[in-house]
Amino acid sequence: MRTAAALSRNAIVVLSLALGAVLWELAGHLTSGAFWAPLSATLKSLLEAAGSGVLLRQGASSLELYLAGLLVAIAIGAPLGLLLARVAWLRVALEDYIMVLYATPMVALVPFILSIMGFGFGPKVLVVVLFAVFPVLYNTIEGARSIRPELVEVAQAFRSSEWQLWRDVIIPYTLPYTLTGIRQAIARGLVGMVVAEFFLSPSGLGQMIMMGSQNFDTAGMLAAIFIIVLLGVALMDFGRYLERRFAAWRGTGS
Amino acid sequence: MAGNGLVSQAASVSLPAAAERSAVAAGSPLVLKTAAGIVLLALWEGVVRAAAPAYVARPSGIVTVFFQVITDAQFLAAAGATLLAVGEGLLVSLVAGTLTGFVMGRVPAVEQALRYYVNSLFATPMVAILPLVTLWFGYSAEARLATVVFASFFSIAINACDGARSVPPEYLEVARSFRARPLPTLLHIVFPSSLPYLFAGVRLAAGRALIGAVVAEFFVSIPGLGYYILFNSRTFRHNEAFVAVILLVAAGVGFDASVNRLARRYLPWARRT
Repeated sequence: MRTAAALSRNAIVVLSLALGAVLWELAGHLTSGAFWAPLSATLKSLLEAAGSGVLLRQGASSLELYLAGLLVAIAIGAPLGLLLARVAWLRVALEDYIMVLYATPMVALVPFILSIMGFGFGPKVLVVVLFAVFPVLYNTIEGARSIRPELVEVAQAFRSSEWQLWRDVIIPYTLPYTLTGIRQAIARGLVGMVVAEFFLSPSGLGQMIMMGSQNFDTAGMLAAIFIIVLLGVALMDFGRYLERRFAAWRGTGS
Repeated sequence: MAGNGLVSQAASVSLPAAAERSAVAAGSPLVLKTAAGIVLLALWEGVVRAAAPAYVARPSGIVTVFFQVITDAQFLAAAGATLLAVGEGLLVSLVAGTLTGFVMGRVPAVEQALRYYVNSLFATPMVAILPLVTLWFGYSAEARLATVVFASFFSIAINACDGARSVPPEYLEVARSFRARPLPTLLHIVFPSSLPYLFAGVRLAAGRALIGAVVAEFFVSIPGLGYYILFNSRTFRHNEAFVAVILLVAAGVGFDASVNRLARRYLPWARRT
């Protein structure tokens, strides 16, 4: 009974993916080549890019930018958030501004960065950092606000040292929230990466998409978009895994 | 002042933690927040004056051009075009995404068939498909609308699906025992009980829609706030361009706050954090 249900569920998934592939192929043959390329042509273009090393080189360039930006964002956002967790007056002073920056469409700042800083690697990393840092900071502060003051009071009543207070109360309490922020940063950083590769100096997978569209190589463009979709899915799953892994002690009350 | 101190002192004898919290809640944070705002603006002004070229946006420069820009017909037209496209796209996504999500949430076969497509397109940075969108729609306002719809549709569909699945089964059983037809069941049971999820989806979608519109304008060069920013920053009028950023932030924060208020006003039973 159960295996039959599992089988029928898998059958639907397999069927729908197969149908999608057939539609993709047909759409490529039925429309003009400038609009859409068949799946077969896309895969061929993907294999060519993989064989010639272009895919590896551009993918590595994209990942370098992405990881640099994400790591800087976490390195800034998490400690600053923790600091605001401990220093209540500073948190009260800054949290509204951080919330506004969290809601700001950072993409609107890209033209300023381009105009002031130019085309180098640094400004591109800055774009990724701007996209990724505020989710980390904002969620860490949310976590800080969720620390029950009783816990800090009890710790202090038992003469916890500052270090013990951090280790046993503040960090365990805020870490799950920080990871929610990191999950959001993982997704937003990818958007930042593509934006930087499109609008600052072209590089990486973004450049592959642009070149495909400029050379009317629709198959090449779809191949690069396909890689970015896969990257997005993999990163989102990884982010969810991280969040779940550390959400165990988050408590149901929050 | 003295009375205030006395009160807080008296309170601190009995309940130190509560007094501390009420002191923070009672007016002194406003002073603190304002002071922090002034410090941040002064820092911005100082750093730009000391280290950046003269054209870089700074608070004093933005203030001088602010009223001139927001009364400028060209700016108003740009703002109208962008916000209208965002509103239109959100409306399309809201209707189509809610329907798709409800069907996915209530019909397991549809959910299994569409799950991978919806989830993977939700995870895709919509910027990446911009060149494809311009191939289909040309360098036109339709390309912007399509980008906005693409950016916002999937977060609404996913939340509507989660909402439809979260309907308490007892409600559906009661409806079935009273022989309710599918449409009334959808309208009177599934829809109200998924509203908190829909609100969450719309908030998420609105942020993404705003980004989508701005990015599309950068890429397609059609009149709007994004293009206004691009054009003015290229011609080194950063103060003017920054006024458009302020408007974008205000639109985003304002929309978020009003959705929040609506949720608190009309869905007081739903306390989802």
